[in-house]
Amino acid sequence: MVCFCSQLNRPGQRHWSIIFSTASRERLKKKKMPFISKIKRQTDYNLFPSSTPIVIDNGASYFRIGWAGETEPRVIFRNIVQRPRHKTTGETVSIVGDHDPALLKYFDCTRSGPRSAFDNDVVYQFEIMEYILDFAFDRLGANGSGIDHPVLITECVCNPVHSRSKMAELLFETYGVPSVAFGVDTAFSYKYNQQHGICGQDGLAICPGFSTTHVIPFVGGEPVYRGSCRTNIGGYHVTDYLKQLLSLKYPHHMARLTWEKVEDLKMEHCYIAPDYFSEARLFQKGTKEAEDKTRCWQLPWVPPPTEEPPSEEEIARKAAIKERQGQRLREMAEAKRSSRINELENELHGLGFLLRQLEQVEANDIPSFLSATGYVSKQEIESSLAKVTQSLRKAKGEPKSEQAEVEEKTEASMNEKYPLIHIPDNMLTSEQVLNPKEPKLKKKKKKCIIIAIVIKLLLAMVSIQLKEKRRQIFLKTTTEGRQRAKQKRVEEGLERERKNQEDEERRLENPELYAEQMRAKYKELSERIDQRKRLKTNGSHTNGNNTSGGVGRGERLNAAQRERMRLLTTAAFDRGKGEDTFGAKDEDWQLYKLMSRDNDDDDEGAEADEAELARVSSRLQEIDPKFVPKQELVPPQSAAEAPRLRPLTKEDFQIVLGVERFRCPEILYHPNLVGIDQVGLDEMTGVSIRRLPSKDEDLEQRLTSSIFMTGGCCLFPGMSQRLEAGIRMIRPCGAPINVVRALDPVLDAWRGASLYAAKLQFTEQTFTRMDYYEKGEDWLRRYQLRYTL
Amino acid sequence: MEAEVIEAELVLPTYLSFKRVQMYEKYPKGQSRGRHWKHLKQILQAENYQNYPPDEPNYVNIESPPSMHPCKRLCDMTGYKAPYYDPRTNLRYANAEVFKLVRSLPSEYVQRYLALRNAAVVLK
Repeated sequence: MVCFCSQLNRPGQRHWSIIFSTASRERLKKKKMPFISKIKRQTDYNLFPSSTPIVIDNGASYFRIGWAGETEPRVIFRNIVQRPRHKTTGETVSIVGDHDPALLKYFDCTRSGPRSAFDNDVVYQFEIMEYILDFAFDRLGANGSGIDHPVLITECVCNPVHSRSKMAELLFETYGVPSVAFGVDTAFSYKYNQQHGICGQDGLAICPGFSTTHVIPFVGGEPVYRGSCRTNIGGYHVTDYLKQLLSLKYPHHMARLTWEKVEDLKMEHCYIAPDYFSEARLFQKGTKEAEDKTRCWQLPWVPPPTEEPPSEEEIARKAAIKERQGQRLREMAEAKRSSRINELENELHGLGFLLRQLEQVEANDIPSFLSATGYVSKQEIESSLAKVTQSLRKAKGEPKSEQAEVEEKTEASMNEKYPLIHIPDNMLTSEQVLNPKEPKLKKKKKKCIIIAIVIKLLLAMVSIQLKEKRRQIFLKTTTEGRQRAKQKRVEEGLERERKNQEDEERRLENPELYAEQMRAKYKELSERIDQRKRLKTNGSHTNGNNTSGGVGRGERLNAAQRERMRLLTTAAFDRGKGEDTFGAKDEDWQLYKLMSRDNDDDDEGAEADEAELARVSSRLQEIDPKFVPKQELVPPQSAAEAPRLRPLTKEDFQIVLGVERFRCPEILYHPNLVGIDQVGLDEMTGVSIRRLPSKDEDLEQRLTSSIFMTGGCCLFPGMSQRLEAGIRMIRPCGAPINVVRALDPVLDAWRGASLYAAKLQFTEQTFTRMDYYEKGEDWLRRYQLRYTL
Repeated sequence: MEAEVIEAELVLPTYLSFKRVQMYEKYPKGQSRGRHWKHLKQILQAENYQNYPPDEPNYVNIESPPSMHPCKRLCDMTGYKAPYYDPRTNLRYANAEVFKLVRSLPSEYVQRYLALRNAAVVLK
């Protein structure tokens, strides 16, 4: 009875999207259904008598368990264990096999990756093996105390005795199994197919498995392990290779390329090309056949929502709002302006009033009168009055042409302001010193007194005049300087404009070349800057570490420091052997000038370089959409993201499988492609035949006329033809070559084992617990199953 | 535990009737389990295959020798035939366009491509 659980699909199946070939864009019919694990608990455990053996095919990829004599294993699942933590309760649980990813969301799977009990194809982690066996027996329906059935379990070819004994111990001690037998899965598969007439009694069995590939010659129905051969390459490596290639090609979609998904892709689309290079040439030339063979996986992608043009209502409404806002702003400005005008007018009136009062007051009382108001002299009042009237005029909104006039006035007034500059020093008079702005003063009252005082004051005043003059010169030069600077800036701007124009012309006439030049320049500049930075950080790093202050012998990494040392040592050695006369001549000290100059140059150069770099990179970004500006920081993740300067299109979300389709299974024939220095499938047959103990041509011919393929990896389309062609190359001309495939490469091993265990003589081949403890490890080492019963 | 998790019987139960020794007895909590198990290399070393006659097949004996055929030179990035290689990065490339790509790769990608071929520089 076989129970089928349809709800437990393989993980990853839910996320499949349309897969189509770029040429035809039709929905492809899936050739092979993805493997569905059977993990429903069996209910008929108790119906089987104690003598019925349990048959286990313990493979590195899948674990299959069932009853002897049946054609299908009862329970099949992936041979992995996960130990995640439950999110809410926090306890660590064990989950065996692959399960619905929707249920796994209750668990925190970040720290627990799937773990396998296998290392290559040998079981070494028996704790995980125990979890797996627990799960398997539990799902088989085991209850009661102990497993009371003999167990036939598969192992790898020439299993190390350590692994074998630990497995036996596990079965005997923990599960209470009465007797155990170990067998090789390839042999079982061969025997099964032999009975069905697929292969003869003598033949070669080739089994590309999950992590290893074996070739075992069968002579007289029994495997000859002496002639067998094992390469450490298998389906795992093919999937891993495909995953790496796709991740490198599409770094943005790395999250989508999970192991399960890539395995599905491999099973669905990979094939073996009859001749690798001719197939690659098709793709290189871009022929129509290559187009047909390319498969394209479209990831789910939502185009960004297109903005609808706003309707007329919208536009009108928005315009009205803008209008209202503008109106409000204008009103506010108007209010402010009128208030300011009022203020200024008030001030004007006040000042006018003050002036009129001043005229009435006596000249002598001016200072005392003015001290109350806060102004020192009449001129000051008059100047502030002028200022106020000017600002009032401006506030009232005089047209701009007035401003030019005002500027001219200021120019003229500047000349007036600096009259003293033009007068040579010795001709400055006391009047100009006292009132530099207004030359004329009311001399009437001061006539007689001044003549007497002037002579006294003249001496003191000259110095004050000089000071004034210097002040005016200073002011004039600064304003002139400012003007000159402004002019220079304008000129520079014009110059830059001109250069940009030239650049544009150059770019238009030869965009490719221009882009190349730009890129080269960018690279050069960035390298220079990087180097300088490296030197700088190296120098500062070592300087930070030193406590003594001097640089030690091993830390002189900075080129400048090295140069310095070199100069110093050559200076020391340049003199005669006995004396050190450095410093006797003055020119010797120029040495230090050489040293410091190097450091200074660096800094100045660096700034100019960086500015240039910024300019070049911005230019490049404009003209070249594919340009990636190098980031200053070094995190490797950022290097993977190119700035998207154009909107994402549907094509960006497509993963194209072209050459990868046949490149990945190629590693089975050429393990060198992934760095494994061993023979591939076709050569392995030659090696195996060579290793046979007896050199019998007849036997060899019989072997090659029945080449039997089993194992999951031989499901690749084109495998048989390629293998045949490969073997023909290494066998003598005219030898009969016949490559056959197992009826069901995946399940035949289990079926063979099941048939074997159902035979009556099976019990002779098992060993019991007593045997295991009495006979010891050496016996276990020599234990081999006899396959022809 | 949520209802559907229990229903799917996702989690391995801690007590199983057919076992003589339960997991929690065998591996008490708090003990580190990882170091118990020997890896394949250590297992093979402990096997002492040199003590046994070399004719007898054992795990190490039946390993395949290196290939006699000349090695296939494929372009690392595209998979086409690659007669050239870049001396700076050691990557193989098929033609000038691929070469441009090769030169523009950041160093992390270069190392990953080389690691595919097992040719990356591994600093230990």
